[in-house]
Amino acid sequence: MDLRSARVRQRGRIKIPPMISMLATYAIIGGLLAISLVRTSDPFTFTLLTFSAAMFMTAITVIMEYSSVVVSPNDHGTLAHRPVSSRTYYWAKVANLLFYVACTATALNLPAAIVVGLRFDGGVAVGLLYMIMALLACFAAAALVILLYSTSLRLFDYQRFNTAITYVHSFATFALTFGYVLIPRMLIREDVSISIEKGSWVWFAPPAWYAGGVELSVGLGDSRNLTLALLAVASAVIVIHAALTMISLEYSRSIAELADSSTKATVRKDQKRLRTRFAALGVVFCRNDEERAGFELMQVYMRRDRKLRLRIYPAFGLPLAVYLFGLISGGLNDPLGPRAAEGTFPVRELLGFYCVFMTLFFASAITQSDQWKASWVFFSAPLDNRVGLLVGARKLVIWRYLFPFFCLLLVLLSFAMPVSSAALYLFITFVLSLMAFALLSMASPFMPLSQSIEKTRQARQMGLIMLLGVAMVFLVAISETLRDGRLAGFIAVALLVVLASLSEIALRKRLASRFAQDEFLG
Amino acid sequence: MGKTDRDRTERSHDEQNSTVAIEFRDLVRSFGDIEAVRSVNLKIPHGQICGYLGPNGAGKTTTVKMATGMIAPTSGTALINGIDIVESPIQAKHMIGVVPETGALYESLTPIEYLALVGRLYHLERDAAIEKAGVFLRLFGIGDSSERIMTGFSRGMRQKVLISAALLHNPDILFLDEPLAGLDANTALVLKELLRELASQGKTIFYCSHVLDVVEKICDRVVILNRGEVVADGGVDELKEMTHRASLEDAFTQLTSEGDLDAIVKAFSESVTGKAHGVDNEK
Repeated sequence: MDLRSARVRQRGRIKIPPMISMLATYAIIGGLLAISLVRTSDPFTFTLLTFSAAMFMTAITVIMEYSSVVVSPNDHGTLAHRPVSSRTYYWAKVANLLFYVACTATALNLPAAIVVGLRFDGGVAVGLLYMIMALLACFAAAALVILLYSTSLRLFDYQRFNTAITYVHSFATFALTFGYVLIPRMLIREDVSISIEKGSWVWFAPPAWYAGGVELSVGLGDSRNLTLALLAVASAVIVIHAALTMISLEYSRSIAELADSSTKATVRKDQKRLRTRFAALGVVFCRNDEERAGFELMQVYMRRDRKLRLRIYPAFGLPLAVYLFGLISGGLNDPLGPRAAEGTFPVRELLGFYCVFMTLFFASAITQSDQWKASWVFFSAPLDNRVGLLVGARKLVIWRYLFPFFCLLLVLLSFAMPVSSAALYLFITFVLSLMAFALLSMASPFMPLSQSIEKTRQARQMGLIMLLGVAMVFLVAISETLRDGRLAGFIAVALLVVLASLSEIALRKRLASRFAQDEFLG
Repeated sequence: MGKTDRDRTERSHDEQNSTVAIEFRDLVRSFGDIEAVRSVNLKIPHGQICGYLGPNGAGKTTTVKMATGMIAPTSGTALINGIDIVESPIQAKHMIGVVPETGALYESLTPIEYLALVGRLYHLERDAAIEKAGVFLRLFGIGDSSERIMTGFSRGMRQKVLISAALLHNPDILFLDEPLAGLDANTALVLKELLRELASQGKTIFYCSHVLDVVEKICDRVVILNRGEVVADGGVDELKEMTHRASLEDAFTQLTSEGDLDAIVKAFSESVTGKAHGVDNEK
């Protein structure tokens, strides 16, 4: 894994190295988080919340960006021919990954460490200890994901590893999000400036263990904090050690079998039938050959390309986790019914946000592939409408993945609210998601599968998606308008649809101007 | 090669065939400060197999990329059947078939799926394209693998798929960059004969290669490029005569080599065995 990039001039512009822009994004997110929590009254509450966010983001980043690094059949090419032991190679890989985790964790936690140092007793010492605990927490989160992968490689049949790991991936995202939503839920019951009561739950919440460690440094060295700190250090050591040793010895053999199984793959009859069925779907939704080509190419890759699936499927775990949380907590109230009580956790809005957030996973993934050099064919073919290739790929995502997922959400939400309210709410969210998808595609204006996999691209786009939190203002405003008066509400919905159409038009213009200058430099 | 010689060669080609299939006019391409292709001028008539040779980094692939519209020339242009690839790329690309040097294709597809995709890109009727693709794959001896995902394919099998893709829309002009890479002897023979047959039907073939004996056998004309510039252009015999050498290989070496080959081999050999550094690898 190598995130370095030369400062290359492209059409007169200096390209900022991806690592730098990614670290800047993390530093901004970390800074915003630290500022938003500056009013918390005790170090435990502050560190609990910042550690939760940091651990969540680290785990999600490893899942989204680096998962293919942990277990990669491509390593067979290196291990099979060079005199490197399996353990050495695997350790080097994981160490390399942890180095990048250390960089992002530092960028993410440094602002909070400064706030802790200035805000609470202990000064520089407490800031320093905060940083050490934060790094340990992020390492543990990354190691936990690595462990999940290595366990899957051990447990599942090699032929089924690809499918299994995709579900493991989705489940991990689901579980992480569910856990992440629980923490702010505990705080938001009342004013943010109060401290969180330390109940018996602290023993089950890993971020609390690390927060306990930080509290030790501000003179609160009671036995519980000491135990929490010991638990934090011990768990981190155990998880990191397990991540390094679980499959390191047999990694070479496992990868060889994985690579071998991939070379024998034949398309099964059921897949062919399915392909024909979806090709018919392409005929319905696509207007020309270019769109159909993009649609069909993406359709096959979504089914067969392990890396692509790994990067996309976790997206579905996010809204489902919030839905489950909303169902348990009763927070999924009817958007057209009476207003929820003041201070209620906005589960519905969070569900909407994650539905919009899902598009981030798709927007950059559909333009990237290890086989990007094959995109020469798009440049040499007589295409009247190169834009159509990406439009077709986006249509596949929308009609094959997003739309059915929203239909599933409609069924699920109808358990919590009237069907008509759920349908209206999801329609608005769907339109917002399409808008977000168009905006993110503008930031990633490439033909399908035509870019090398740049491991920092999604993380950088995460900064952009944070801005899409603005979309939630739309969602809340429209819900409120609908509740107050149907006519005004429907006008607002119509305006939103117009806005989404305009963003699609803007995207196509941007793609057309971009693709007109594009060259194949592979 | 002097300007007069080049003019004479061009005139003789023009006399043989009045219509020009491929024309490069002052074709230049730079990457930053590096000029990969410097003012290449060529006219290739219909029905000719033109070998385009040069050492690594001479600018062959860059020329092909410019001629096929994959990259834009820094200056100058390429005409395909009289159509400017820069001005009217779509019209020109309809007449071109390409086999790139990289051999890259979307490996998660099966050969049939890949060829169907290429058919879509060339606006061919889907069923007809698939049927034709099936025939090509059978003729190339990989019909049994037409429903296998290409991840495990050898270079030769991929090359067969790429050649099938280049021929799928029956182009007038073929740009082939190392088309024999990875092919077995029998398939290579079939391809060489096929190229001759296609040329006899009036198709033009622009053939980039490092395999000089193949070029010597199948090409009507050879253009040698060195450091982005055309250093020789003519029939195989003309080049031999011009350099006073017995084979195309020797002629090529004389025109492009920048050092004493024997000395280089000796230095290499000594480096491998460690003698050059006073190290005895035998120990």
